[in-house]
Amino acid sequence: MTGRDEAYWAKPVRTLTVRTVPADAVNANVAGRRVAGAAQGFGQLWHKRFRVRLDGARVSPQEVIRVWKDRFGDFWPKGARVFLPAAGIAPGEIGLINAGVPGAPTFATGILVIYADDVSFSFISPEGHPFTGPITFSAFDDDGTTVAEVEEFTRASDPLWELLMILPFVGGKIQNGQWVGTLGNLAAHWGAAADVETRIVCLDRGRQWSQAKNVWHNAGIHSAIHAIGAPLRRVARRVD
Amino acid sequence: MATAGERLKVRSADGAAIIDLPSEVDATTETVLRDAYVGAAAATRTIAFNFGGVEYINSTGIAVIVGILARARADGHVVRAFGLSDHYREIFQITRLSDFMAIFPSESSALGPR
Repeated sequence: MTGRDEAYWAKPVRTLTVRTVPADAVNANVAGRRVAGAAQGFGQLWHKRFRVRLDGARVSPQEVIRVWKDRFGDFWPKGARVFLPAAGIAPGEIGLINAGVPGAPTFATGILVIYADDVSFSFISPEGHPFTGPITFSAFDDDGTTVAEVEEFTRASDPLWELLMILPFVGGKIQNGQWVGTLGNLAAHWGAAADVETRIVCLDRGRQWSQAKNVWHNAGIHSAIHAIGAPLRRVARRVD
Repeated sequence: MATAGERLKVRSADGAAIIDLPSEVDATTETVLRDAYVGAAAATRTIAFNFGGVEYINSTGIAVIVGILARARADGHVVRAFGLSDHYREIFQITRLSDFMAIFPSESSALGPR
């Protein structure tokens, strides 16, 4: 039997391949890596749902998703950039994420688009990303009002990321501030109030110590190493 | 059109609970599937999901399944799946759901030694 959803899903890949890299993007911690699901992470497993009602906006769920896909990075809070492929958010496409603070190495990671239709799309991240597990962006009608939603089932990928996530103030900001900010910006785009409803439930308080080895893929560590090696790579390119 | 609740069934066989998933798994399935899981989990330790009648799963549907599986795993239940087409096996690979539960070709094999 063939699913009616087949056109919306990416095909499985053993490892990720980055075809094109924008000139100003740092391409690290994506190519050659496998994707990581919630079962492959280390930390506690969280179900997080962020919603914003676009009250007063005459916009359909389809239009919200169309604009969200086209301008995905524009709605992110300041401090991080996402480089989408030319094909945009489409099944099987890979986006690069660069984030950081001035003076520190650029933190580089990415996402694989695993699903995309006209009312939703989903990402999964490569090994080394702070979180493992799928994240879904969707819009739907609720009694005549369009609601935009971000939903994730994620664990911190390794002990270092888990340690960061449980730090008071810092962890919550990193984990949840991204999507609260994104949905707030999305609401502002359509002139709606940025009242983001947050529902966070811990599904599994246990930590998967068998996955502690994921620290070898930690994208933060590898980003720092990548930055240290940048001058050497420049010299090598000149010699070539 | 039938609702998800009308199409989803829970039955028991060989000491396990079998949840026959509806043809469409999406956000509208969430409540009925969660209720089905809670009922099944209260009755038995082994739960098998039958994907044989599934024709459509979207991204919110996969999120619903991930949530149920994560909860089942945290609760210490044995979770199995059977009846997946090649397409849905691929979806389980790309989402890495196949690492969450064992996949079997048929109901009888899913209810085998555990």
